[in-house]
Amino acid sequence: MNKEKVIIEVENVSCRFGPVTAVEDVTLAIEEGTIFGLVGSDGAGKSTLLRTMATMIPPSSGRVIMGGLDAVTQRRQVKRLIGYMPQRFGLYPDLTVDENLAFFMDIFGIPRAERAKRRERYLGFSNLLPFADRPAGKLSGGMKQKLGLACVLVHEPRILVLDEPTNGVDPVSREEFWEILLEMKRSGMTIVVSTAYLDEGEKCGRLALMHRARILADGSPDEIRSSFASLEDAMIHRIEETDGAHARDNVNS
Amino acid sequence: MPVTTSTPEIVSVKDLEKRFGDFTAVDRVSFSIDRGEIFGFLGPNGAGKSTTIRMLCGIITPSSGSGQVAGYDVVRQSESIKQTIGYMSQKFSLYEDLTPVENIRFYLGIYSVPESRWDERTGWALGQARLEEVKDRLTRELPPGWRQRLALACALLHRPEILFLDEPTSGVDPITRRHFWEFIRGLAREGVTVFVTTHYMDEALNCDRIVMINEGRIVAMGSPGEIVAEACPGEAKATLNDAFIRLMTRTERVQGPG
Amino acid sequence: MLINPRNVQAVARKEFYHIVRDYRSLYMAFALPLLLILLFGYALSLDVDNVKVVIVDQDRTELSRDFAGRLDASAYFDLVTHLPDERAAVAWLDSGKATIALVIPPRWTENIRSNREAPLQVLIDASDPNIGTISRGYITSFVERYNSRLLVDFLGRQGFDNLRPALEGRIRVWFNEDLESRNFIVPGIIAVIIMIVGAMLTSLVIAREYENGTMETIRSLPINAVEFLTGKAIPYYLIAMTDVLVALAMGQLLFGVVMKGSFWLMILASSLYLSVALGLGLFISIATKSQLVANQIALLVSYLPALLLSDFVFPVENMPRMMQIVTWIVPATYYIDILNGLFLRDVGMGYLWPSYGVLLFMFLVMAAVAVVKMRREGL
Repeated sequence: MNKEKVIIEVENVSCRFGPVTAVEDVTLAIEEGTIFGLVGSDGAGKSTLLRTMATMIPPSSGRVIMGGLDAVTQRRQVKRLIGYMPQRFGLYPDLTVDENLAFFMDIFGIPRAERAKRRERYLGFSNLLPFADRPAGKLSGGMKQKLGLACVLVHEPRILVLDEPTNGVDPVSREEFWEILLEMKRSGMTIVVSTAYLDEGEKCGRLALMHRARILADGSPDEIRSSFASLEDAMIHRIEETDGAHARDNVNS
Repeated sequence: MPVTTSTPEIVSVKDLEKRFGDFTAVDRVSFSIDRGEIFGFLGPNGAGKSTTIRMLCGIITPSSGSGQVAGYDVVRQSESIKQTIGYMSQKFSLYEDLTPVENIRFYLGIYSVPESRWDERTGWALGQARLEEVKDRLTRELPPGWRQRLALACALLHRPEILFLDEPTSGVDPITRRHFWEFIRGLAREGVTVFVTTHYMDEALNCDRIVMINEGRIVAMGSPGEIVAEACPGEAKATLNDAFIRLMTRTERVQGPG
Repeated sequence: MLINPRNVQAVARKEFYHIVRDYRSLYMAFALPLLLILLFGYALSLDVDNVKVVIVDQDRTELSRDFAGRLDASAYFDLVTHLPDERAAVAWLDSGKATIALVIPPRWTENIRSNREAPLQVLIDASDPNIGTISRGYITSFVERYNSRLLVDFLGRQGFDNLRPALEGRIRVWFNEDLESRNFIVPGIIAVIIMIVGAMLTSLVIAREYENGTMETIRSLPINAVEFLTGKAIPYYLIAMTDVLVALAMGQLLFGVVMKGSFWLMILASSLYLSVALGLGLFISIATKSQLVANQIALLVSYLPALLLSDFVFPVENMPRMMQIVTWIVPATYYIDILNGLFLRDVGMGYLWPSYGVLLFMFLVMAAVAVVKMRREGL
């Protein structure tokens, strides 16, 4: 079955913060070139799971392997391989669009000859070229997110990790944002993205539903939807089913 | 007191305009809202949605044009408007270092609810928001969905006739959103008018009527079905999302830098 | 931990943009130091000269006029006027138009000639205790000198020629011949400026990354703590060193303070002391994560000690023992010690090395603490 090459391996990963278990025993294998969507309730542990992939926190137990490298012991090499956009992606508001992008190119050592081409390509993708001299703080919400995406794409990572990148973004900008993602996928990039928008979930090649620190379901959007009218109905049904079981457990014990 | 309470329209604005310097955020907008309606106000980031809401709520004064909200004039009676309406912003204007009960008491004071009714209203709000168990925890410790319910309960403490919701479900998961809309539909059945902005087109389907705005101007008005039919004629499978993208990209978005 | 110069440069360039964009930090970096030099140089002069004196001469003899004349001729005093009586003199003191009132009583000369006690009445306005104390010292030594002159004159008239007082203090002031406090003030201001730019401004820079949410971005990039902190420090190092040179030039042009010792020793000391300040500022910034709190703490632990506990404004030897011990951990104490040596005495490394050593040690400790703290924060 797994003819494609697996590029992200999450093996029995748990994350505990004091008494709280944010991620519990999650195992995933993601093939190269997929868009992998992560949906679920607030506080389900989506961000925490993404942060372990982005090397931002080490898992309490289990392993995360990104492109064959261990996310904890080979952190610096993994960082070169991935582009990560956290939920509240911080750009420098007082720096212009160009300067923000240049900072990322500096850090990743993009050679001088390449720089103009990359700038053209990624600011062009996100329709930001006309705003290159505008401070990032003066961009609208949708443009900020597209600039963030341009910044994490500029070193052409093999894996993109995006944590709710389209939150508070209007439908037009959201559409443009996803067109870039689909274009990147066609070029062979692997994308892991969490979202609260289930219409975006439909665009993913594979979808995982997360609730109470665990993965409840994992498959193509059609498999997740199964007999329900919409992804939302399917998701809410699965979550309420789990919560019901939880409630019964609590009553019984 | 409101001048007229018998008209079916609770909001009516005519040629409402707001300029900041030489930038026109809202450009001569006219519409009206009936009592008990769920009214959706949609548009891309920076289209002038928040500016319009802020004018209707008496927070900022229009540059020109006229309007009435709950019988009060938006230019001359902004203080009365603030006492009459409920307003909840996307930032859930709560004090994160206060408990839910303390937040509720703060808003009871702000809305001049008589003190004899504070206990009853506090109990009502905690019940509505399903926060009795955490009423003495700090608000910042609550999940976003719970904070949203608290913010909504606070906006309803003084039984407003009209509720303004500015992106109330931003960053909230689908389940919480579904519960939220069930609650809003319940309010509307009780006769409360709801004015709401959102980026979620599936949510906008809950609205009786929608106005779409782009670059400060109204580009479409009507029920969700009417808007889809008008923007995407002859496309049976078109959704509100398709209509939105069609309408917003039609007004060619050429903006120079600066 | 390897250091990639490219990463350091990337952060330094970005930091430079932040500074250029923010007129408040530009003001703090360049205008404030100039303002401090002018303010301290002109306003905080610790010298007292030309003490204003009024005289009530009730004796009116050749000797009393001679006394007044010599007083006026002295560089330390400025004889403002003669007044008819003590009440008028007190009025001058009250109004602040004079600091000292001298009352020469009737029959003063007569009493001297007949070997009786011949007291002078001296009234001093000590509302500024500093000026009061110094004025008292001046007038006391003046009267003593006048006394011994009278004695020599008297003995000479009695036939003792070539007589000299048995003991004569020949005081030569070294290292600061003019007793100009500006010679102390210029090094002190430089120490304060370095703390402002090095510690107070840098205390904001990492807190700002946390407040903007950009720290999460930085953490996701292939850059380590040493590269990040070094890149952050470089623009402020350059600004502070520019300020030092400007302060040196202004000291020389405006106040005629010329450094006697080696310029390069001065630069080395400034670099070391500045590095301590940078480490301190960055550490505060990482630890607080809030610009407001960081700024308050930096004020408390960097600027104020450099000003108050460094022998700059208040002499350490006059402090209580406990405070003296506290001054040992204030970096400015060692830096000002070095600068005083270089500005006033032209001493070299052979004499100054212990202070250099302490600054180097402080820098290593601060740098290590900042880097360890940054790594604990996940960079």
